[in-house]
Amino acid sequence: MGSILSVKNLSTWFYLEEGVLKAVNDVSFELDENEVLGIVGETGSGKSITVRSIIRLIHHPGKIVNGQIIYRGRGKEEDIVKMSEDQLTEIRGKEISMIFQDPLTSLNPLYTIGDQLMETIMKHQHVDRAAAWKLAVEMLDKVQIPEPEKRMNSYPFEFSGGMKQRVVIAIALSCNPKILVADEPTTALDVTIQAQVLDLMKNLQKELRTGTLFITHDLGVISAMADRVMVMYGGRQMELAPAEDLFHKPMHPYTDMLLKSIPRVDIKQESLEAIPGQPPRMIDVPEVCPFAPRCPRRLDKCSKELPQFAELEPGHFVRCFNPVQVGGDINGK
Amino acid sequence: MANNDVVIRVQNLKKYFPINKGFLIKKHVADVKAVDDVSFEVKRGETFALVGESGCGKTTTARTMLRLIDPTDGKIEVLGTDISKLSREELLPFRRKMQIVFQNPIGSLNPRMTVGQILTEPMLFHNIVKSKEDANKKAVELLKMVGLKPFHMDRYPHQFSGGQKQRIAIARALSVDPEIIYLDEPTSALDVSVQAQIVNLLLKFQEELGLTYVFISHNLALVRFISNHVAVMYLGKIVEIGDVNEVFDNPVHPYTKALLSASPIPDPAIEKKRKRIILTGNVPSPIARPNGCFFHPRCPFKMEICDKAYPEMKSVSSKHQVACYLVDKREV
Repeated sequence: MGSILSVKNLSTWFYLEEGVLKAVNDVSFELDENEVLGIVGETGSGKSITVRSIIRLIHHPGKIVNGQIIYRGRGKEEDIVKMSEDQLTEIRGKEISMIFQDPLTSLNPLYTIGDQLMETIMKHQHVDRAAAWKLAVEMLDKVQIPEPEKRMNSYPFEFSGGMKQRVVIAIALSCNPKILVADEPTTALDVTIQAQVLDLMKNLQKELRTGTLFITHDLGVISAMADRVMVMYGGRQMELAPAEDLFHKPMHPYTDMLLKSIPRVDIKQESLEAIPGQPPRMIDVPEVCPFAPRCPRRLDKCSKELPQFAELEPGHFVRCFNPVQVGGDINGK
Repeated sequence: MANNDVVIRVQNLKKYFPINKGFLIKKHVADVKAVDDVSFEVKRGETFALVGESGCGKTTTARTMLRLIDPTDGKIEVLGTDISKLSREELLPFRRKMQIVFQNPIGSLNPRMTVGQILTEPMLFHNIVKSKEDANKKAVELLKMVGLKPFHMDRYPHQFSGGQKQRIAIARALSVDPEIIYLDEPTSALDVSVQAQIVNLLLKFQEELGLTYVFISHNLALVRFISNHVAVMYLGKIVEIGDVNEVFDNPVHPYTKALLSASPIPDPAIEKKRKRIILTGNVPSPIARPNGCFFHPRCPFKMEICDKAYPEMKSVSSKHQVACYLVDKREV
């Protein structure tokens, strides 16, 4: 299994009147074929901007200021950062597609879902309407929408939230992309519907072997979906590890505290350990560890310089001067 | 919990929203039965949770209990008095005793008022303090209690982060010395690391001030952590109710089971082995609810009787009741 996408030293900044908002700083990771990489972080941690940078959905005043995004899906190495708009149009939807959080805003209310599905298929697969119709019905069937033929002529408002998200998934996967970017795909859904959609996404991912970037703030969802997990905070990568390692022996104090601060449905907990303080402001941040002001393991040098994102164990990367040695295993009880 | 007296007793509470059709001559065609014959008790000093998915009636139940909307039928006894039919004036003393913290602090704090004004207005209105100076003094105290600083008094809500705004909303609720606080998804708009701060703050006040909480949430993990008793609602009815540990460790109603199994656990090792009950379909419309048990079209354990009559509430144990025919089928 080779990596299909390599992100190297990606930085995306927003030039605002108040100053430069460094939303993403020096982020590097690899995505393998048939792998689900989860990205977790809080509001403003830079997780969405990271993946939006990958398909170049960054608009003024934002700018990718540094880095390479190497895509290897077409038999050669291509740098997405250097592509022209025309080249991007070829890639978006066909090679890399995206599912957004709110299915209501990602579907056009004026077109039937059949039209919207067929548009993508005809654009990228160069087939006629009849063939596109057939493929579209197949896709709807694949995402388990009952009576797909009939539903092709329905408008988005005729679908419930969960069904709309299924349609969005169908559109995203209709051209069999090599990479799927899912940005909080189930956050707007109720918990039983979320379980349905996650189940569907997992099965389709296995079937189509799509490399997936799965973004969420919900650590429960990520543990159900991801093979590897990357934790972001303050626009930087804090930790990147295989899912079980990350949950069972977190090494970054932020990850460790985050895991202790979430309630669990399966056991009665005595207390939740809150992380004191507020998430950082992102404008004009100095080059130091962004978590330092809230960190209980803070050393003097933490607020003076930025730790390296280092591989402390095989496959386990951490950006910290004073990592948690014996991780607070939340399952130790 | 020092004493076990009941502070809220809800009996057969109903809230129907009529649907009218016609332009000049309005005809009453149907009802949305948002809350349908709900009964429960809340004891002093405990946290009672209402859980369910969107549209199940949990928020309407709470708002009816607060008389923010008037009930169609039923009794709401608060501290021994039935408030379901009281007039505006008669309600005033109860308004002071019952406060609410809403989900979205941006919507519940007036953007044109300073924090000082937000906190002192309720005290002055309810004549809890003698003068403006006293009110200000108390407001500063409240700010300190919720972890903010006295200089925040002159700031406006937009100058605060989401978590800080929710602290202000909590301080406002506490400003009139209430006995009961309704918490309507107080942390669902917040980040996880801030959620724990707010939850711990709420628990601290409950212990220090002996408050009773009615907690509304769809987050079962949080409900398990924070509450003592829980009622699971589906389409306007309570399907399962009882001690939170009993209900969550030993759920009887298939809907409760499905909700619990759909709640992800933050542990990949458990998640990978877990067998989920995946419900098919969506929640039916509250206007045209199915016959018999409302859950039967989605229920994986459906029996013949289920689409005939709505099951009655039966006891599983002394601290646990359920409205499901399966309760009789369990191994005795």
